[in-house]
Amino acid sequence: MKIASIAWKEVVTTIRDRRAFLFMLAFPIVLMLILGSALSNAFTDSLSFDELKLAYTLEDQASPVESYWNGFSTSLASSGVAATALSAEADGQAAVKNGEYAAYAKIGSDGIAFYGSSKLTVESDILQAMLASFANRYSLAMAAASQAPDALPSLLAAAGSGTYVRETSLTADRAPNSMDYYAMAMSTMIAFYACMSATQLFRSEKLRHTALRLTAAPLSKGELFAGKIIGSTVINFVFVIAVVAFSRFVLGAEWGSHYGSVLLLLFTEVLLAVSVGVGASYLFKSDGGSSVVMMVTQIFSFIGGAYFPLSGMTGWWVWVAKLSPLYWINNALARIIYSDDVQAMWPTLLLNVILSVLFLSLCAAFMRKKEAL
Amino acid sequence: MNVLDIRNVTKTFGDFAAVDNMSLSVREGEIFGFLGANGAGKSTTIHMVSSLLKATKGDIEILGKNIAKFPRFAKANIGIVPQDLAIYEQLTAYENVRFFAGLYGLRGSLLQERTEEALEFVGLGDKAKSFPKSFSGGMKRRLNIACAIAHRPKLIIMDEPTVGIDPHSRNYILQSVRKLNEMGCTIIYTSHYMEEVEEICTRIAIVDHGKIIAEGTKEQLKAIVTDTKEIWIGVRSEEGVGIEALRSIPGIVSARIDDGMIKLQSKAEINNLNEIIQQLIRSRADIRSVEEQAPNLESVFLTLTGRNLRD
Ligand SMILES: Nc1ncnc2c1ncn2[C@@H]1O[C@H](COP(=O)(O)OP(=O)(O)O)[C@@H](O)[C@H]1O
Ligand SMILES: [Mg+2]
Repeated sequence: MKIASIAWKEVVTTIRDRRAFLFMLAFPIVLMLILGSALSNAFTDSLSFDELKLAYTLEDQASPVESYWNGFSTSLASSGVAATALSAEADGQAAVKNGEYAAYAKIGSDGIAFYGSSKLTVESDILQAMLASFANRYSLAMAAASQAPDALPSLLAAAGSGTYVRETSLTADRAPNSMDYYAMAMSTMIAFYACMSATQLFRSEKLRHTALRLTAAPLSKGELFAGKIIGSTVINFVFVIAVVAFSRFVLGAEWGSHYGSVLLLLFTEVLLAVSVGVGASYLFKSDGGSSVVMMVTQIFSFIGGAYFPLSGMTGWWVWVAKLSPLYWINNALARIIYSDDVQAMWPTLLLNVILSVLFLSLCAAFMRKKEAL
Repeated sequence: MNVLDIRNVTKTFGDFAAVDNMSLSVREGEIFGFLGANGAGKSTTIHMVSSLLKATKGDIEILGKNIAKFPRFAKANIGIVPQDLAIYEQLTAYENVRFFAGLYGLRGSLLQERTEEALEFVGLGDKAKSFPKSFSGGMKRRLNIACAIAHRPKLIIMDEPTVGIDPHSRNYILQSVRKLNEMGCTIIYTSHYMEEVEEICTRIAIVDHGKIIAEGTKEQLKAIVTDTKEIWIGVRSEEGVGIEALRSIPGIVSARIDDGMIKLQSKAEINNLNEIIQQLIRSRADIRSVEEQAPNLESVFLTLTGRNLRD
């Protein structure tokens, strides 16, 4: 219960601090608006290709797969794929290597052999996804047909047509535009900014002399520590949620459909930031801690994609960027939001939690040894 | 029963002893005055009693229990009013008191009751919903006190609670101290204002350089100064008053001038009043009054240390 009162106190005093309010809410939203509209040229609104060139060979003529394939290739044409049939003797792989095609597929009754271009990776990925879903549907149709052989032709016709593009995760309308990107980047940045106020978490009690009252009260250091960490994490997370909600509902930014995972990841980021901030305040005795943290936070934000999109990073920059927790988090979030890859959350989430626990245990050990707060 | 026992306690910072082998007992129901100049070691002592600092040497007991062995018991029975304001600017008066009282385990309606009671007690009942930044210095000091008493501690320790406030608030606080005492609280009152201590304390310890140099009731302390007397001479103008010349008069222990009043301490057995007056006439001072003061704590301090309390 004492932990709860301390956490409550932390939340209320932060909410009523106008500077914290401006800094954690107004600042990221303004930046989102500025960067989102000023740098919109850095983003293509959609992925577009003149034509996706696919070469294929049908190995088993006049088999069920052929009629199925024919239905499929008409729908391919309407999705902007130019499918070219090669004779059985032609070297499809060599043609792909030359760059004539983005991919080559050898289609037989027992499966599809796929060969994608190493240069046109995005195009070949899209084609691969389309062919995979083709194969899935085909095998489903065949399984159904083995139960009711009479229905085979109509099953094949139905399965062959229809759209394949939507089933892939790389559809053009799900790439981020600049507002989407900066909504995410500013939210992760502001989540990490929690470390700056965290450097003051215990110092401020000292400066206000309230540390004296807290130490004189029948309260363990552990209760005090837990209460303050919880309170600070909660209120900073509330700020982050507010920024996310504003970008989603007012600016219409894309946050995907896995809100739970997105928020969970952001929560662990805030926890990490608070732990880093408190750790720094113990590591650097005087006010030096907050300057160091301020600088480190700015650098992490800069290299981690707060101002320049991840997709624009190449070569050595990617290596430098990987040093920044913001990079891991932005990366994981992008995969959750745009590729529905919820599993991408785990490595980053675990890393955040492990690092937080590490920092916090160090601080707790430090705190126990110290005489006063 | 003793509320507080300090036995041979020393606190060193580096090789400087801020509190030096101090022993002291405070009995239940006392208003115990802790009088000493700035830097004497008052706050350091108080901080050890309230577990903010660990004694380098010695033992401290609260209500007969060692504070190192029973820290929670000791802490729960103490309310500390820190020397510096220790309140949150972003919390209202009510929230401040409730928060600190909550740390002592009060909950629910009892917490609410005690919080309101404490605010009423310091005269801030109608300011419960206001933020401290709208308060005068005296009101903040009173809130500082409310935060320490809501949990009804047996022992209330006040560290210079009247520093830098207006006379009205000061009187209010002194009266509250008496009232708290009547309600059954034992009080340790720290100050470097001897008038305050003399006015409200039932027993007084004078601290200097981390040591208690005298202890007792006002009367007992003043009995120390039978061998000196204090002479106050009012003058119209401080100009030309030869303080140095006064000091060289036989029997004079100290001389100073304070707001148109020459304050002299002299050995009691020597009658030097004639010489003093003659010296003042020679220096053309315009004498308005001459009186011999009853001994006060100031003269006790001066006798014991050869210094003035305020220097
Ligand atoms: N944390 C500290 N480190 C070093 N010296 C200290 C510390 N706290 C107090 N002191 C010194 O101890 C002496 C007593 O201080 P204090 O107890 O605050 O005096 P008082 O409250 O009587 O004015 C002073 O000389 C002060 O400078
Ligand atoms: Mg002091």
